[in-house]
Amino acid sequence: MANGARTIAKRDVAHWLAALMRRAEVIAPVAAHGGDVAFAPIASPEQVLFEFGNTLHPPKQFVLPQTDPLAVIRRNGNGVEIEPVHDDRPRVIFNVRSCDARSLAFLYRMHASDLPDGSYLARAGNVTLVSLACTVPCELGFCTCCDAGPFLKEGTDLQLTDLGEHLLAEPGSDKGFALLSEAGDFFRPARPEETGLRIELEERAKRLFGEETCHFASAMRRISTGRVAEELWEAMSDWCVECGGCNFVCPTCYCFSIKDMRQDGSWVRCRTWDSCQYQAFTLEASGHNPRERRADRIKRRFFHKVSAQYYLRDGTVGCVGCGRCVRVCLGTTDMPAVVAAIREGAWHG
Amino acid sequence: MDDLFLPRVARIALVRDETPDTKTFGFRFRDPADQRDFRFLPGQFLELSVFGFGEAPFCFASSPTRPELVEVTVRRTGQLTDALHALGPGEEVGVRGPCGNGFDLPSAQGKDLLFIGGGIGLPPLRGLIWNVLDERERFGRVTILYGAKTPTDLVYRDELREWAARGDVELLVTVDRADNGWDGNVGMVPTLFDKTELRPKTTLAYVCGPPVMIKFVVQDLLMRGFGEDAIISTLERMMQCGVGKCNHCAIGHRYVCRDGPVFTFRQIKELVE
Amino acid sequence: MYVQASEGRPVGVAPSENHPVSRGKLCARGWNAHEAPAWGERLTKPLVRRGGKLEPTSWENALELARASLTTLLEGGKSVGVLGSARATNEENYLAARLARGALQTGNLDSCLRATYQPFMAGIAAIADGRAPAGTLADVEASGCILVLEGDLASNHPQAAHAVIKAIKAGAKLITVGCARTQLARLAALHLPTLPGERAVLVASLIAAATRESAGALEPPLPGLEALRASVAALTAGDQLRQAVMWLRQADRASILVAPEGGPPERVAREGTAIATLAAVTGHLGRPGSALLPLPARGNLRGACEMGVAPDLLPGMAPLDDASAVARVARAWGRAPAPAAGLSAEGMVGRVAGLVVLGEDLSAVLRAGQHALEALAETECLVVLDAFVTPTTRAAHIVLPIASFAESEGTTTNLEGRVQRVRPAALPPGDARPGWQVLAELSAVLGLPRSYRSADDILREIAKVAPAYDGVSERVMDEAWGTFASPLPADREPTLQPIATDRVLFALPAVLALDGVFDWGSDPLVSFSPTLCRDHVSRRKLYPSGLVQMNKADAGGIGVRQGWPVRLISAHGEAVLPVVLRGELEPGVMLVPYAFRELVTGVLGGRSEAPVRAEKVQ
Repeated sequence: MANGARTIAKRDVAHWLAALMRRAEVIAPVAAHGGDVAFAPIASPEQVLFEFGNTLHPPKQFVLPQTDPLAVIRRNGNGVEIEPVHDDRPRVIFNVRSCDARSLAFLYRMHASDLPDGSYLARAGNVTLVSLACTVPCELGFCTCCDAGPFLKEGTDLQLTDLGEHLLAEPGSDKGFALLSEAGDFFRPARPEETGLRIELEERAKRLFGEETCHFASAMRRISTGRVAEELWEAMSDWCVECGGCNFVCPTCYCFSIKDMRQDGSWVRCRTWDSCQYQAFTLEASGHNPRERRADRIKRRFFHKVSAQYYLRDGTVGCVGCGRCVRVCLGTTDMPAVVAAIREGAWHG
Repeated sequence: MDDLFLPRVARIALVRDETPDTKTFGFRFRDPADQRDFRFLPGQFLELSVFGFGEAPFCFASSPTRPELVEVTVRRTGQLTDALHALGPGEEVGVRGPCGNGFDLPSAQGKDLLFIGGGIGLPPLRGLIWNVLDERERFGRVTILYGAKTPTDLVYRDELREWAARGDVELLVTVDRADNGWDGNVGMVPTLFDKTELRPKTTLAYVCGPPVMIKFVVQDLLMRGFGEDAIISTLERMMQCGVGKCNHCAIGHRYVCRDGPVFTFRQIKELVE
Repeated sequence: MYVQASEGRPVGVAPSENHPVSRGKLCARGWNAHEAPAWGERLTKPLVRRGGKLEPTSWENALELARASLTTLLEGGKSVGVLGSARATNEENYLAARLARGALQTGNLDSCLRATYQPFMAGIAAIADGRAPAGTLADVEASGCILVLEGDLASNHPQAAHAVIKAIKAGAKLITVGCARTQLARLAALHLPTLPGERAVLVASLIAAATRESAGALEPPLPGLEALRASVAALTAGDQLRQAVMWLRQADRASILVAPEGGPPERVAREGTAIATLAAVTGHLGRPGSALLPLPARGNLRGACEMGVAPDLLPGMAPLDDASAVARVARAWGRAPAPAAGLSAEGMVGRVAGLVVLGEDLSAVLRAGQHALEALAETECLVVLDAFVTPTTRAAHIVLPIASFAESEGTTTNLEGRVQRVRPAALPPGDARPGWQVLAELSAVLGLPRSYRSADDILREIAKVAPAYDGVSERVMDEAWGTFASPLPADREPTLQPIATDRVLFALPAVLALDGVFDWGSDPLVSFSPTLCRDHVSRRKLYPSGLVQMNKADAGGIGVRQGWPVRLISAHGEAVLPVVLRGELEPGVMLVPYAFRELVTGVLGGRSEAPVRAEKVQ
């Protein structure tokens, strides 16, 4: 991604952000309550954080809100009127980490493939991603195992690298090039020593990140060929509290339900986040439930994330190694723990 | 790009009681262009919106060869179906679809066809049966075996009489438990197999009904020499989007709403839960 | 937890990673908490009953009608009552107490779940020198030994279960006590099975094991030890109990978590005393790092109790005859509080002529269930404040719409005694108002005016009345994550008391008990959430005649299979219910989910458990 790389002095970034804010909703990591960091639309450039542990709540909510209105259904004199809700507001999601940028590209592919989801694509298509490469490993991430970091070769519109006094910006798409060209004089072409430093930072990062691992390959082999003992999933199910947190914070999870919400005499048809870990996820009207047992639901989650069948369908494993499932789990059934258990053939809790 | 989740408004044109808890509804789209352009295959399903109650999937119970009315047959099982049953002609519902893969009719041409339905399993077959009967000359023998718990649970009674009266269709009906007025066969559906001549080598068998019934019927057919690709059924799952996105109906990496709901027995065997 | 809102409506939630209790984790109810306010059937206008139907009206009319009706009842010498709520904030509960003892001058004041929690606190206080339950979930997580007396902790208190799971992973020994081998019991190092109603005997036996000479001397020996030892001398304590006691003694930090069981308040209090005694004789009562935590059945139950929502307490949980407490309250209210104890929640329904209910659906929470609603029909003036339409609001004469939790300002007090701020994330719909405002206005029209400009004003008043909350208002504003109400200083060591060891002998082979202390399926947080309600609604649909849980061996023993009807016969009555097999149950235990409690009222005869005989229905 070195073509067209440009640099901006850190003292000019606020001006650049202000310019971005004039033409789009800018979403960035900001300080929330009590030391929390969260992605939120910014009111001023000063809010944007450049040094932060990745947020617990992923930025997918800006392309896939937890309650996503799709249509308004009204009754009037002519009968029922159905009005689609479209959100094609221009947005810039700024300072996403590499893992999250990958996940947003993944979500886009999920909604564009087979039967394209127009409402999702309208919203996501108007999002520009400006990602911030990670030079220091986060505590629980394992993006190197998922080809989702620490630096990206593709899948982001603009990749920023912190060089110290400057940020290097590498465009990764037409949108990225357009962003740079609109930014005009805030940026200048990158100097050889700057691109050299960026490459060195990536090499250094890879070495530092190398400590965290999650061996998908062997887990994938076993999951895909039905060679994971039922007892293993059973054992795990006592260490899961069925909160659904893993699905909600996972940046590549997108299961949803369609519900009609009553609102002032009309109804709003909404897509709402759902979790395959909930008992009623596969509960049929007759009362029959093919995944009655928690063990079956846990098995389902990992089949969807790690199987070869899905890998072939989606072109990637369903995980970007962000480590959020480790942080959010009320039990102990996070991705690295489960993958390790499958490899080993034993669950230790 | 069509909005995948927007229903089209349709008006109920027909309501017919089938059994104490089952009704058939026929719709026409409110917008004539929708009515004109709507295409579907038997075996596919639609997502029906009962405004104010939500959406649920129902298989097409009518044939595309008779596009005047789109029909579904619905049993009361909860809030949404209760609300649907309270609607009458002229009232509006929403239709999204068609969803799913449908029966592969072209590959059935020239073959003998065996339709086996149990109770509420006859509706998905009915559309296919009428499609076949409307193009009768393209297919070999047509045999319909249908059973329900009791005579009052039989659906499409008028059509059963119509099929029975045709010379080019063999129809056998049975009930698990008879009542006083019943003088037909008594016994579960597999008991009809010995009352007809089955030709496993040239026949495609379409089986729809409660899971338990399908299990016993399929076992019987396999024992009698039917091939795994010659036995075709439909699967049901909890559905939300019906278009392969929400993941509710996924079995392994297959989606009942996209790769199904029609599956051959071989395909069902290969599905990994 | 952050509630996300769009155009004034809640649309999602996000976890807070730095929150000292949740640490970024939420349970299923937490992740979907925004759904009830957004999707639920909301009350948006005051309603009054005219000609048998509830009709919308103005706030002035509704409040005036409430004033007139309640005043008429009082002047006619009839009784009135007020029910606070574990779903409401501290400020709302405090104002409910003030409405009762101040404006209406009645001691008929309670909350529907108080009896499952406050007596337990009182039981602990009885030997622990007035101390409240203490300790945090962080203490539990860092404990070397944990004793859990539970229903199904992972299902009912996921955050507490998480602390236990983390502790186990770090090597802690978990001991569980219960009548079903639920998830945590399967993870435990030791599970001590009991029959419903026999938990007290098990705890007494543990105390016996701890006070035997063989267990070693208690350093320093506590006053009352000899009398205690004598009272449990007759109980046997086998290897397992001795092992449990040894683990508790040896752990540097040991925590005890107790989930409520149904039962009369005296029994709950005795259990509180017994558990505190067990903590004391294993060296952990009041030891820093060792938590003793009864689990409130719902969010702000501890707060509601501490605000004095109880028939026999003042705000701050002072006894009614505590002169200095009475003086503090009188100064704050400008009037002395009603001095007499009154009726409990169960007692009030159908017995008081006027009833004000804050944020609770009586049919979901009270044992009497549907009968409670029927009894409410006798009430001459039923005033209900709620955010959601419930069977109780439908039975009301006057309905006052208030804000839901996502739209409220105030504080709540969690199981640890941590007082935290709740800030509104969304706007109450229609004409609904913050609950504290409505209660203040209601008290004002009933003769106890005081203008509070904010929820914070109320908290400052609470501080003057409840010494434990002194300074809370300032600290809770300053600190990011709330603050602890100041524990009362303990001047003395715990003083042990003899433990009663009345053994309940179940002569018949089986025991029937209720599972749970209220019906989650009817709670607005679940019933209005499209994500969460699905299986609750389906369960009732699948079992319209209720269900009774039995384990497979017991069912097989009487020749029944899944779904078959079973006749339950006790000394009090009979019932027929379909069986659902539940492998976790101890042999001889049958449970009926709280939601179906009314089907077994006859069999249980008013108790929480009863010995029964089960028969196949021919």
